[in-house]
Amino acid sequence: MTLLKKISLIFIIILALIQFIQPARNQNGQVLDTDISKIVFVPENVQMLLKKSCFNCHSNYTNYPFYIYIQPAGWFLSYHIQNGKEKLNFSDFGSYSKRKQESKLKSIAEQIENDVMPLASYTFIHRDAILAIEDKNVIINWANNTRDSLSH
Amino acid sequence: MKNPVMFLCVIFMALAACKNNQAQNESNTPTSLSSELGAETVYACPMHPEIKGKKGDNCSKCGMSLTEAKATEAATTNPDVSTGLQTGGAVSIKEIVNGYLLLKNGLAAENSKDAATAGKTLESAFKSFDKKTLNAEQKKVYEEIEEDAREHAEHIGANSGNIEHQREHFETLSKDIFDLVKVFGSEQTLYQDSCSKYNKGKGAIWLSETKEIRNPYLGEKISACCIRKGEIK
Repeated sequence: MTLLKKISLIFIIILALIQFIQPARNQNGQVLDTDISKIVFVPENVQMLLKKSCFNCHSNYTNYPFYIYIQPAGWFLSYHIQNGKEKLNFSDFGSYSKRKQESKLKSIAEQIENDVMPLASYTFIHRDAILAIEDKNVIINWANNTRDSLSH
Repeated sequence: MKNPVMFLCVIFMALAACKNNQAQNESNTPTSLSSELGAETVYACPMHPEIKGKKGDNCSKCGMSLTEAKATEAATTNPDVSTGLQTGGAVSIKEIVNGYLLLKNGLAAENSKDAATAGKTLESAFKSFDKKTLNAEQKKVYEEIEEDAREHAEHIGANSGNIEHQREHFETLSKDIFDLVKVFGSEQTLYQDSCSKYNKGKGAIWLSETKEIRNPYLGEKISACCIRKGEIK
């Protein structure tokens, strides 16, 4: 067996073995009391947009794509979700202090306005998560109005 | 065929060994620390913890014999600290304010890198702030502000090169620090300034250590839209 063959064989075996290490799923069956929809008013159209473009990484309910089963792509996804939830978790919004809630709503509006979110690397694969200009305005207005209502 | 499998086993074992080592190191540190602290035995009056002495001494206030107090307990009954607890004052947020001012100056000078470094300084000032000196009410106020402000400091630290994003976080951070200073006071005089042009005319405030206006939102060259709103001593 040549060296090249040996190396590729090892590589294939490693690839096969890591398929058994599946990341834990981010899917919590019930809506928590701390969910944003239980804390502030979230109109149906806003809820729909958030679900479509944000919740996969920023809530406890991820709608997993097929490649979750293929490692290391699934791990990468898992890491992304963990990171996203750390920054903002819509399912855990109620556990934030009022100050932090206002702060997060401000950031939501800014990140969407500046096209930072949803991430380009994410929308590259998930084309349906791309927000149209009018969709963006719906979220931005909702976030700003909700923030004002919290601070008064 | 056996070779690659063996090779994998070795890798896994090596990884497992690394993990164990780390765990051991972590568990070692606290024990050695506490044993060092424990070596220092202090005797104090059970009724007047501020009265300390050697073994067999009596309390100068009530005459009771002093009992053994652990070093850690002695630290919390340190006179300076206990005054803070009783009067609700004597809390120094100097380090936090300094970190904030450093950040403000970095943004005013349009230096995103300096602002990021200051953001990290501020974050560690929050981390090392000793909450033990706060009473229950102060602690509640402090923790709520810290929860938000620390995250802003962290973001500013992580976004070197993106000054506009740093400024977005600085806007909310300024409100947090303003509220913090209102509650805990400041050792140095601070000025509350405001820029009416920032954020599409919505305006934003900041705190400064100088009377001179240096706009952290639009850069120090732009000051016509700024006013000094107040003074905090």
